[in-house]
Amino acid sequence: MKKIFLLITAVLMASLSVMAQDARQRTVETIVQDALALMPVQHQNDFNREMEDLAKAAPQSVQILAQMMQPAEKAANNLVEYAISGVVAYASAHPQYAKAVLNGLTVAAPRAADVTAREFLQAQMRLLGEEDVTYGKHTGAATYTALYDKLTSLGANAAPEVLKAVRSKDRALRMEALKFATDHQLADASLIQKVAALYNTSSTDARVDILNWLGDNKATGQKLLLMRAAIQKGEVGAAALEALGKIGGEDVADVLLRQLGGANDAAAAAALRSFKGDLKTKIPAAMAAASGAKLLSLLGLASDRRIKAACPQVIALCQAPDTNISNAALNALAGVVTTAESAQMAELLDKAPAARVAAYQKALAASVKAQDAKTQFTTLSTLMKGASQQARFYPVLAGTGTDESVAELSAIWESGKAEALNALLKSTNAKALQPLLKAAKGGNQEALAQCITLVNNNIQDLDERATYITQGLELAKTSAIKKTLLTGLGNTPTLPAYTVASRYLDDKELAYTAAYALKNIAGKCVDDIDYQFMKKTLTQASGIIAAGGSADDGYAVDEIKNLLAKEEPSPVFELPEEEKAAGYEVLFDGTNMDKWTGNKEGYTPVNGTIYVSANYGDEGNLYTIKEYQDFVFRFEFCFVRPGVNNGVGIRTPMNVDAAYYGMCESQILDHDDPIYAGLREYQVHGSVYGVIPAKRIKHKPLGEWSYEEIRVQGDHITVTVNGDVIVDGNVREACQGNNVAPDGSETNPFTVDHRNHPGMFNEKGHIGFCGHGAGVKFRNVRVLDLTAQQPVKKSKKAKKNKK
Amino acid sequence: MNRRSFLKRTAAATALFTIMPRHVLGKMGGANNYIAPSDQLTRGIIGTGGIGRSNLHFESDQNCRLVALCDVDQNHLDGALQMAKSKFNETPKAYHDFRDLIHDANVDIVHIATPSHWHGIMAVEAANAGKDIFCEKPMTRTIGEGKRVEEAVKRNGRIFRLDTWFRFKDTFYGMGTDVKPLKKLVDSGLLGWPLKVRISGATGFAWKFYWTGKENLEVQPIPKELDYDLWLGPAPYKPYNVHRTHQTFRGYWDYDGGGLGDMGQHYIDPVQYILGKDDTFPVKVEVDAPQQHPDAVGIWRSITYTYEDGCQIILEGEGFESQGKVPYIEGPKGKVFKGFECTIPNVMELINEMPDPEQRNTDFLECVRNRRQFALNESNGHHSATIVNMGVCALRLNRTLHFDPKTQLFVNDDAANRLVNQPMRGDWGKMI
Repeated sequence: MKKIFLLITAVLMASLSVMAQDARQRTVETIVQDALALMPVQHQNDFNREMEDLAKAAPQSVQILAQMMQPAEKAANNLVEYAISGVVAYASAHPQYAKAVLNGLTVAAPRAADVTAREFLQAQMRLLGEEDVTYGKHTGAATYTALYDKLTSLGANAAPEVLKAVRSKDRALRMEALKFATDHQLADASLIQKVAALYNTSSTDARVDILNWLGDNKATGQKLLLMRAAIQKGEVGAAALEALGKIGGEDVADVLLRQLGGANDAAAAAALRSFKGDLKTKIPAAMAAASGAKLLSLLGLASDRRIKAACPQVIALCQAPDTNISNAALNALAGVVTTAESAQMAELLDKAPAARVAAYQKALAASVKAQDAKTQFTTLSTLMKGASQQARFYPVLAGTGTDESVAELSAIWESGKAEALNALLKSTNAKALQPLLKAAKGGNQEALAQCITLVNNNIQDLDERATYITQGLELAKTSAIKKTLLTGLGNTPTLPAYTVASRYLDDKELAYTAAYALKNIAGKCVDDIDYQFMKKTLTQASGIIAAGGSADDGYAVDEIKNLLAKEEPSPVFELPEEEKAAGYEVLFDGTNMDKWTGNKEGYTPVNGTIYVSANYGDEGNLYTIKEYQDFVFRFEFCFVRPGVNNGVGIRTPMNVDAAYYGMCESQILDHDDPIYAGLREYQVHGSVYGVIPAKRIKHKPLGEWSYEEIRVQGDHITVTVNGDVIVDGNVREACQGNNVAPDGSETNPFTVDHRNHPGMFNEKGHIGFCGHGAGVKFRNVRVLDLTAQQPVKKSKKAKKNKK
Repeated sequence: MNRRSFLKRTAAATALFTIMPRHVLGKMGGANNYIAPSDQLTRGIIGTGGIGRSNLHFESDQNCRLVALCDVDQNHLDGALQMAKSKFNETPKAYHDFRDLIHDANVDIVHIATPSHWHGIMAVEAANAGKDIFCEKPMTRTIGEGKRVEEAVKRNGRIFRLDTWFRFKDTFYGMGTDVKPLKKLVDSGLLGWPLKVRISGATGFAWKFYWTGKENLEVQPIPKELDYDLWLGPAPYKPYNVHRTHQTFRGYWDYDGGGLGDMGQHYIDPVQYILGKDDTFPVKVEVDAPQQHPDAVGIWRSITYTYEDGCQIILEGEGFESQGKVPYIEGPKGKVFKGFECTIPNVMELINEMPDPEQRNTDFLECVRNRRQFALNESNGHHSATIVNMGVCALRLNRTLHFDPKTQLFVNDDAANRLVNQPMRGDWGKMI
C-alpha cells in the first residue's frame, strides 16, 4: 500500500515544483513521503514531531497530501487521511501553523477528486475554524416549553412562576416546575415555605409531588408537615416517609418507627434502611414495646442495620410461642450476634430441633465473622469438639474458607463421615478441589459442579485449567454441568482447550455453548491453531450461533468473521537461491514433518510453523531422521508464551538428554522472563549448556521471529542470532579435554556446570529440538551437511560462495 | 379524542379523585390484575436491528403495550413485525420515518434503539412532541447533543430513561456484586479521598476492541431494502459499504466511538454514581493511543480522566492492561479489587452496618405515571455520556484536553469545541 503512494507522490512532484526545505535539508515532497511512511503514528510524542514537520511545510505539504486523495471507488486514501487529519489536529493546538494548514486545505478542496474527498477536506477545515454551525429554532408542545422558557428567562426570580405552576392540575407541568426549582437551586427557605403552604389545598397527586420535592430538597423546616402526612394511608404517607428518611434526624426516627407494622409499613421500613442516623438504642427500645406485625418489621430492621444491642431480645424471641415471630427472630440472629455470643450459638446449634439447624449455623458463622479466618477456624473447631452433634458444625467450618478447614473436613470425610463432604461442597478454598475431584471420580455430580466453580475462580494457569476441565467433561453426566464446563473452557484460550471444545459441535444440546467457547478461545488463543482446522470448526460454530438469532448472536457471528479474515496460513518455504546453490536441504517447509522423527504429537505443523506443545521429558523431543557430523543448521524461532525453554540437541542419540549424552545442547530460552531471574550464565539463550556460556542477547517481543544459525565443525561450535555471534568456541578446549572427570567421580571440575558430558565427543548424531513445554514455534528449518559437501567443497561451490 | 389528549385529561382528572395509588400501580404485572386500556402505557421502538429486537427489550404486556415499530431497513422492520405477531400476537404500526412514529398519537413512550448518531435528534424530537423517552446507551454522540437533550427533556417536562442499569441493579462485571456495597464503602470514607478507579481487563471489564473500523472501504451498491440516506441522516454522506451499517457501525466516528462508545457508559456511569459525581464533569482527559484515523475508530492504550478534587477514572485498553494484581478502586486508605476483594479487613461486615444509599426511582413505568425523575435520567445520563465523549474528542485530536464543567466546553481549544458541537447534513441540524 505504501509503495503505491510513493509512486503517486513522484508523479505529483513533477507537476508541483516546490522548493521549500527544512532543517534537515529535506524537500517538502520528502517531508510528506517520510510522514506517510510513518502513518499511523503509535505514540503522542512521535505524532507531535511528525505533524510539526508537516505543519512547518504547510501549505505546500497539505496541498500535496490533499491532491493525493483518490476517488472513493479506489478505496486507497487511508494514509493520506491519517496525515491530513493529524496535521490538522496538531495545527488546531498550535495556532502559529493553523493559517498555513488551512490555506493548503482551502486551495485543495475545490479541486478534490470527488465529493467524498471534498467533504473530508471541508470537515478538516471546519476544525480549524473555517465554518460555523447554526442550529435551527424548533417549536414544541407550547405549554411545557413556554413554562420552561419563562422560568429560564426569570432565572433567580423564577420562584413565583414555579409556585403558579405547582398549583396547576397538569402533573407534568407541576413536576417540570418543581424539577426546575431543584436544578437551579431556587428551593430556599422562602420557596419551600410557600410550596409547603399549598399542601393543604392540593389534590392527592399534588400532595405526593410536594412531599417528594420537600424530600429531594432536604426541607428540614417542613418536618412537621411531613410527619403529619406520614400518618396518612397510601401514597401520601409513603411519599412523606420517604422524604423524612432523606431528611433524617432523631425525631424523624421516632416517626418512622411508629409507622412500622401499620398500613405504611413497607415505606417506613425502606426509609429506615437508608436512614442516616443512630438507631442503636431506638430499635431495641421499640422492640421491647412491640408485638405482631410491628415486631416482625423491627426484627428485620435489627438484622439489616446490624443492631447488636438487640441481640439478647432476638435470642429470646427465637423461643416465642408465635411461630411467625420466632421464625423472624431466627432469621434475624445472624445480623445481630457478635463473638460474645459464639459459645451460646454453638450450644443452641448442638441442641436445636432439625428445622432450626440451618438458622443457627448461619448465626454461629456470623458470630465469629469479626475475627480473621484462621481465628474463626480455631474458635469454631474448639466449639465443635465440645458438642455432641459435631456434623452440624461441618458447614460452618467450611464457611471459614481456610486451608485448615479443608484439611480437617477432608480427614473427617476420609474417616467415613459423608456429611463432611457436603460441607466441603460449600468451601470456596481452592484446596477443596482435590477431595472434591476424588468424590467426582466416584460419581458425585454435585462435587463435580463445585470443582468447576473452584477451577474457574482459582486456577490461573491455562494449561492446568484446561486439564481439569477436560477431565470434568469426561466425568459429567448432565448437560447443565457440561455446559458450565464448556463455558469455562471458553475462558481458557489454549490449543488443547480449543480441540476439546470442537468435539462438542455435533452434540445437539451442547453445540451452542461449544460454539461460543470456540469463538472465545480463538479470539484470545495463546497457541497457534491450524488455520484449516480453525476455519472448519469456526465456520460450523458461526452457523450454530447464527441460528440463535439474538442481537448478541449477531455480534458473535461478526467476531468470527473478523477472526477468520485475520488468520491466513503462511506460504510454503523455499530455499533462497544462494542456499540452494550451496546444497542446503530443507528440513521443514511449513507443510509436513517427513524429515523428522520422535515426538510428532507435541511438535506439529501449524500454519507453516512447527508449533511446540510438548511437555517436559526426554521422550518429548523431536529429531531429524538423518544423523549429521559437521553441519550448518539454520532456522527461525518465535516465542508465543513467556518463559519458553527449549534447545537444539547436537550429534545426539535419540531419547537421551542431549546436553550430556549428545555432543551438546544449545539453549533456546526466553531468558528475559522474570521467572529466570536466577539464571546462570551457561544457561542463557544460545549457551552450549553447561559448557560454553553465550553472550546474553535481548529477545524480540513475543510473537516476533528471530533467525538463528548453528555451525558445528569438529569440536568447534558457532551460534549466531539475528546476525549477532553469541557463541564461538571449542567444546574440547572449554573442558581441557576432560568431558568426564578424570577421577571417575560425578563432579567434574573441568566443566562450568561441574557435570560429566560423556557424549561430548560423539562422532555424529541427530539434530533435535529438546522440548520443555509449550509456547515456541519454528519455521524455515534447513541444514547444510558439511561432511557430505567436503569432496566438492574445494572445487566449484567454494568459488560460487565467494560471490 | 386521541390517546394523548385522553391521557392528559386523565392526568387532570386525578385532581378530583385518585385513580390508583402509586404503590399499587407498582405491583401491577400479575396475570390476574386487569388494567384498563386507558391506564395502559404504550411504546414504540425506533431501530429494530440489534438491541431493539433483543429479548431484553422486545416486550409487550398489559403494563406497557408495544404499538409501533420503525426502521429504515425493510428487512429489519419485517422481521420485527413478524416477531411481534409470533411473540405477543400484536400487530404494531410499522413506520419507515421515525418522525411518524414519534408523532403517532398512540405512542406514549419512544424507545430509541438506533445507532447513536441519531439519539440526540430523536430524543429532542420526542421530547418536543410530548413523549417520554427510553434511550439506549450511549446517550448521545456529542457533548452538545447531550446538552440539548437534557434541555429539551426538562423544557418539555418529560421523563427520560437512559438504558444502562448497573448503577441500580445487576452484578457489575468484574466486581461480582452490584454497585450498592461499593457505593456504601466509598461513601463511608474508609478508602480515603481522592479515589482512583481503574476500568480494565485486569479489573474485569472488556473494552470490545473488535468494534474498530476499516480504512479504505470499497464502494458497494446500497442494498434495496435499506434507505441509506435516512440511515445516515445527520452524518456526513460517505459512500456505502456494509461495514458502516448494522452492528459494525460502532467502528466509525461518524456514528459511534468503538468499544468506548459501546461499553463506556455501561462501565463509567456506575463509577460516576459511586464517586458522587452526577452533577459535575472531569476537568481533564489524557489519552495514550496510536494516531486515530479520521473515519475508522482504532484502538487505544489508556484514557485517564481527572476530576477537580483529584479523583481519577482510568480506562485501560484491551491488551494494554496493568499487569499483576490491580485494584478497581484505590484510595489513600484502602483498595478494592475484582470480586470485591478489599484491603480493609471484614469490609462486608462494616458495609452491612451502614445505612443503604438514598432511595431512587428505578421503575421506569412508575416514573412515567407519577412524573418522577428516573434514577438514570437526562441529567446524570448526560454527565456520564459526556465522560465517554470527552475521551472520543481527546482520541481524535490525540492530545490532553481540559474541560470546564460550568460551560461544558473545553478550555482554550477551539478544535475540541468544534467536536462538542458538530454540523449536521442537510436540515437535520434544525431539529436539535
